[in-house]
Amino acid sequence: MAGLIIGRRHLFRRLAIFLMILGPGIITGSVDNDAGGITTYSVAGALYGYGLIWTLIPSFVFLIVIQEMNARMGIVTGKGLADLIRENVGIKITFLIFVGLLLSGIGNTTTEFAGVAGSMEVFGVTKYISVPVVAVMVWLLVVKGTYKIAERIFLIFSMSLLTYVVSAIMGKPDWKEIGAAVINPHFEVSSQSMTMVIALVGTTIAPWMQFYMQSTVIEKGLKMKHYKYTLADIIVGCIITVVVAFFIMVACASTLHPNGIRINEAKDAAMALRPLAGNLASQVFAFGLFVASIFSATILPLATAYFVCEAFGFEAGIDKKWDEAREFYILYTSILVISMMIILIPNAPLIPISIWSQVINGILLPVVLISMIILINKKKIMGQHVNRPASNFIGWSAVVILVVLSAALLVLPLLNM
Amino acid sequence: MTSLTTFYLSGIIGKEAFGADGDVIGIVKDLLINAVPSGQSDPNQQLVTGIKLKIRKETGFYSFKPFRISKAREMLNVTCTELIRLSNDEVNNGLLLDENILDKQIVDLNGRKLVRVNDVRLATLPTGTFAVAVDVGIEGLLRRIGISAPINKLVSLFRIKIPAKFILWDDVQAIDFSNLNIKLSKSYAKLHTLHPSDLADILEDLGKKSSTSVFNALDEEKAADVLEELEPDAQVHIVESLPVYKVADVLEKMPADEVADILDELEDDKAELLLKEMEAESSQEVRELLEYDDDLVGSIMTTDFLSFSSTKTVEEVLGELRIRKPEAVELYNLFVTEANDKLIGTFNLRDLVVAEPKKTLEQIMKSEPVSLFDDQKTTAIAEIVSKYNLLAVPVIDQNEQLQGMVVVDDVVEDLISERRTRKRRK
Repeated sequence: MAGLIIGRRHLFRRLAIFLMILGPGIITGSVDNDAGGITTYSVAGALYGYGLIWTLIPSFVFLIVIQEMNARMGIVTGKGLADLIRENVGIKITFLIFVGLLLSGIGNTTTEFAGVAGSMEVFGVTKYISVPVVAVMVWLLVVKGTYKIAERIFLIFSMSLLTYVVSAIMGKPDWKEIGAAVINPHFEVSSQSMTMVIALVGTTIAPWMQFYMQSTVIEKGLKMKHYKYTLADIIVGCIITVVVAFFIMVACASTLHPNGIRINEAKDAAMALRPLAGNLASQVFAFGLFVASIFSATILPLATAYFVCEAFGFEAGIDKKWDEAREFYILYTSILVISMMIILIPNAPLIPISIWSQVINGILLPVVLISMIILINKKKIMGQHVNRPASNFIGWSAVVILVVLSAALLVLPLLNM
Repeated sequence: MTSLTTFYLSGIIGKEAFGADGDVIGIVKDLLINAVPSGQSDPNQQLVTGIKLKIRKETGFYSFKPFRISKAREMLNVTCTELIRLSNDEVNNGLLLDENILDKQIVDLNGRKLVRVNDVRLATLPTGTFAVAVDVGIEGLLRRIGISAPINKLVSLFRIKIPAKFILWDDVQAIDFSNLNIKLSKSYAKLHTLHPSDLADILEDLGKKSSTSVFNALDEEKAADVLEELEPDAQVHIVESLPVYKVADVLEKMPADEVADILDELEDDKAELLLKEMEAESSQEVRELLEYDDDLVGSIMTTDFLSFSSTKTVEEVLGELRIRKPEAVELYNLFVTEANDKLIGTFNLRDLVVAEPKKTLEQIMKSEPVSLFDDQKTTAIAEIVSKYNLLAVPVIDQNEQLQGMVVVDDVVEDLISERRTRKRRK
């Protein structure tokens, strides 16, 4: 009787679960391809042709393993990564991590606004109009509490990142050469190429995303029995990230590289594409950049403010009123305002800013990863869901590789001086 | 020397403790306080009873009685006349300040929310050392990081003072007892002063492990009230992480419609298991409700209601109510039925109280009552409730037999949560 009726609902429920769970991985994966990412991939493609495409493979593996750990920690503990670090790793390390996270948050938000400014310049809009308008829009969107709607809209919009596939194909890439470059990677050891590799890995696996991933999983209220769906979601998200990155690199590598065009910003890539692949390709590229920049400019400052508050025990969340969560709103608004001001300074040193925020990311990432691996191996926290040896191996290799690369990045310029 | 010394926990952890002869005997690792108070305002609840010391390579718990903490020229001194080992029992009944309180979330009973502890303030009186308050302010945070003095100097240039924020020990409830085997129901005693909805909000913000153990410590009545107030996600988590018999006991204390809502969120096997464990009477009501689709009136109605025959007198009904002592919602909305459960009228508590004792229900009831069908869409409820200004609407089936009632509270809850989830999901 009752059982029969429950049974009828079963199929729908399973479908509903699947749709309900899809999200954290895909959203995180989409935010991953922000203005900073697009810039880095474009520059790498223009500078090294297909030469650095292989870095996407290890990035992909690291990304999946790390995000899986975040998802698992979120599911098992129901606590954010900031909470766990504060409670288990010690207050001084927590403080360092979050000062770093705050600085890189400001740096990255600045990069997002640079993306907004750059992409709108392709359409002939000056940054003195586009940046303040976008900043106010983003602020209102979040503070007026419609952020969740915004997230969904952006998610749909971020599908437009797939326009990079169009951009890339319009550039008529040499698929044989790409295949050869991936299978048989070359790596020249120079300060410049090392920087590029770190930037590529660092932009794909940004530290703040670990926090973001974990809190999205918690907000979704996922359970261990949803684990398979969650894993599928993560893999789909990582594939999106890597595929988009791949096509951006291909687009720039097949058009700009053979012509010896050097670029510094994603905007340059859009501009340079015009004579080579046509006006449409250029505008498609710029539009993708614009959407990605706004998407990340919405999420990044919000997430950064949220995690800092979480770690230090301030009330946080957009569902709270200004008086209840003053620190949170002040922090969020400051990040947005500071980033906007930096962009609006005439001749702002954008390239050093983006390099420095990458460097902070590069230093921060191993610290966060080490904390994560320590936490996820604690029985007291994770119970039976502690890390398997394989995850530990990949996690630690990521740490070692990143530390070596970051150290090299810091040391090499000194040697060259 | 003054009789009152106040100090911070962070100032004493990692300090060397000196013996009577002035030699270092060990390093202070943690302080133990009494975790199971005999009463809410029992002063001994905050007495420091033990100290965790690292002596050479070994860490052990010792009685705090022979220890003394004094301050000389802003420097804290820990001295000890004798080392007395604590029994396992004494340790297990305690709460460790560093391990269970510092950097952890605790409940601020006045603010009715979770706060994170930056430091603990203690005081040494002639009668012993006590935990006085927890520091949850920015100042405590800076002190812990070790940059309180320079930052204070810096901001004092701008005539700003970094706000210190303390909460008295009486007004906080520790949450994390994870590594101790103490009787949790007693340790969480202070939480009983909170309203179920506040408690539910707090449970939602806690980690999974803590929310389960706090919930587990509540008595059945309170647990039922709290479970009712939780968001569906949290309800499912609680129900799935507690033993079936415990959950069944709590569910029996809840209105059948709420139970049906929860079971609806669960997997079929688990729901069936719980229904079997519950008393037959309660589970039968829930099963009937489960047969309704989510968007039908039947899924939202409560089957706890009171109905009387029209020939009963006011006096008889009042007498019956005194014996049955029903919940408030049942008491305000009363129904009149014929022998076959057919609904013929409604009356409320006011009608009853103001009427002459000898009158029959037939004389005081409102006949031809407004009602809903159990297979009607829930969207119809709001309209009827607002049009007729009702607190509850009777629900009948196609044979006009009374099945239950829809209470306005439940509708409001649904309307709000519908809006809330719409906001959240998009």
